[in-house]
Amino acid sequence: MTDVASPVDPLQPWPLTVDWRPVSSRLIVVEQIRLAGVIVVFAVAGVLLWTWFDAWQFLAGAIAVVVLGAVRAVLIVRSVRSWGYAERAEDLLVKHGLMVRRLSIVPYARMQFVDVSAGPLERAFGLATVGLHTAAAASDAQIPGLPGPEAARLRDRLAALGETREEGL
Amino acid sequence: MSVDLVARRRLHPLTPLLKGAKSIAIAVAAISWQGYAQLGFERWVALVAGILVITLILAVVSWLVTGFQTVGRELRVTEGLIWRRTRSIPLERVQAIDVNRPVLARLTGVAELRIEVIGARKTEAPLAFLSVAEAGDLRRRLLALARGASADAVVAADENATVEAAAEVPVHTVDNRHVLIANLLSPPVLFVPMALLATITPMAYDPPAWSVIGVASAATALIGVVLPPLRRIFAQWHFRIAIDATGLRLRHGLLETRSQTVPPLRVQAVQVTSPLLWRPLGWVRTKLDVAGYGGNDAASQGVRGSVLLPVADWATTRAVIARVLDGVDIDAVPLHPVPNRARFVSPLARRRRAFGRTDAVVAARDGWLTVRLVVAKLTRVQSVRVVQGPVQRLLRLADLHVDTAGGLHAVGRDRDALAAYGLAGELAEVSRAARLAETGSAAASGSAAVPGSAAAPGPAAAVDLVRHQRSASEHSPKASPTYTQPTSTSIM
Repeated sequence: MTDVASPVDPLQPWPLTVDWRPVSSRLIVVEQIRLAGVIVVFAVAGVLLWTWFDAWQFLAGAIAVVVLGAVRAVLIVRSVRSWGYAERAEDLLVKHGLMVRRLSIVPYARMQFVDVSAGPLERAFGLATVGLHTAAAASDAQIPGLPGPEAARLRDRLAALGETREEGL
Repeated sequence: MSVDLVARRRLHPLTPLLKGAKSIAIAVAAISWQGYAQLGFERWVALVAGILVITLILAVVSWLVTGFQTVGRELRVTEGLIWRRTRSIPLERVQAIDVNRPVLARLTGVAELRIEVIGARKTEAPLAFLSVAEAGDLRRRLLALARGASADAVVAADENATVEAAAEVPVHTVDNRHVLIANLLSPPVLFVPMALLATITPMAYDPPAWSVIGVASAATALIGVVLPPLRRIFAQWHFRIAIDATGLRLRHGLLETRSQTVPPLRVQAVQVTSPLLWRPLGWVRTKLDVAGYGGNDAASQGVRGSVLLPVADWATTRAVIARVLDGVDIDAVPLHPVPNRARFVSPLARRRRAFGRTDAVVAARDGWLTVRLVVAKLTRVQSVRVVQGPVQRLLRLADLHVDTAGGLHAVGRDRDALAAYGLAGELAEVSRAARLAETGSAAASGSAAVPGSAAAPGPAAAVDLVRHQRSASEHSPKASPTYTQPTSTSIM
């Protein structure tokens, strides 16, 4: 199934044999709004402290937060695009990460439960997160930014596969 | 059907006394240090008597309302007077059963039964206390039910109890002298003189007042320093490993004895540790990973719930692991070193780092001063992950994680990135194949899956007996030698 000899790029392992599906690009906006919230809180706090204590360090801190935030906002685009998942015949593949790249291979037979969660911001954009959990605490695979119908489809499919492949540890 | 529903039983009548004794001792100690001088003798006696009566009444009430019974393939434990609580423990999920006997319990001839279940953060059902015979009997029944035997088969197995007991094959006994020397060479013991010095020196310079409180606190400090290493040694005393029809049996303990049973195929992984100070002696320590022992409170009691061999030389370790892991020879697992360029990220541990697999296990070695070798069974692999940090990306390296349900993970650090991705895909497939082979080979392979059966005809016969009884009385399609949750036949 896997072509071991095929050229491997950590962001696109087995590009020839595995059909990687991206997450919704709306997740970029969601993540950026989330980031903007954090930036605003810290920047406003910095500016307020600067006006009260008249110490330039606070202003510098606020500016640093805004600049770093802006850089991160640009990186989020690539970060979200790095997410990918693939449903193979026997297992689910999930990959993500720019700095630290992660690839998880979770067999359907090992699945203990599937959960779908969506925060208020995600819901506003019609997105949801599907989490796949096995008996090993380390192996939890999360796929954020799935459009509602796709999340429901994936959940139902995983649950169905889990039922037919139920077995012990 | 009537056999299926075993009547609800109470714990041993001595339970309230034994459980009360502990809290009374604590209460008395708490008052004594502080209050004896202030209260005077008579009032002190009255207070202690009052505490005694109240504790005993509470313990008796708790004993009266606590009961347990087996219903079908479940163990039900009922407890509580005001807040009634009934716990149902599905016996298919039992990972291990321990019979513990603390000092007081040994003096009075009772035992505590602990059942480790997957998914529970701590021991799900500590049944304290039962008479020794009852604990042994219950242990055997529960394990038979956990294996998938019906109640009738359990009754039949009862008649074969003597056969089963006779079929136990001793695998190894750890030399007590080795336990002593090994513990003397471990950091907790080596630090005892220093800790003692640190405790005593201030006392010498500033002698504590010879009051009750002064002496008590000094004694408490000394005990706190000396006791943990002593407990460790006591817990590992008389360490015996055996295999019988119910699985792997580990017995150990000097004052408090512990008898652990790990059913066949419940072992997730083993870890062989070689501490720096033991290296000249060629000794290693081996841990056994069973899902459910993870959050065990036994860790605080000196011995980890999952010690397989507290100390042994390499040849013994190899032989014991072969018995535990279905004949896996840890020397035969090919261990591939990491590429030379890994020295930029891990200059010290690089030479120990290695990773490899066979068709049955995956092994990872790591460590600098203390070298650890983790061997995990492919049939128990939960997921495979590849993680690559920024520096590793520059060096074209990646970490390969192989997750199992227990606390040990085989992690191949700093592998060549290309090989790691290839191996990850390969492992996913090989572990699936191993799993299918295990679930599918129930009828085909006779006793190959049972540890130790190849070497000893005795237990093999006993196991086959149990297996035949089960398959005869079973209607579900579950025919796996894993003795676990029902498995659908429509896997492929």
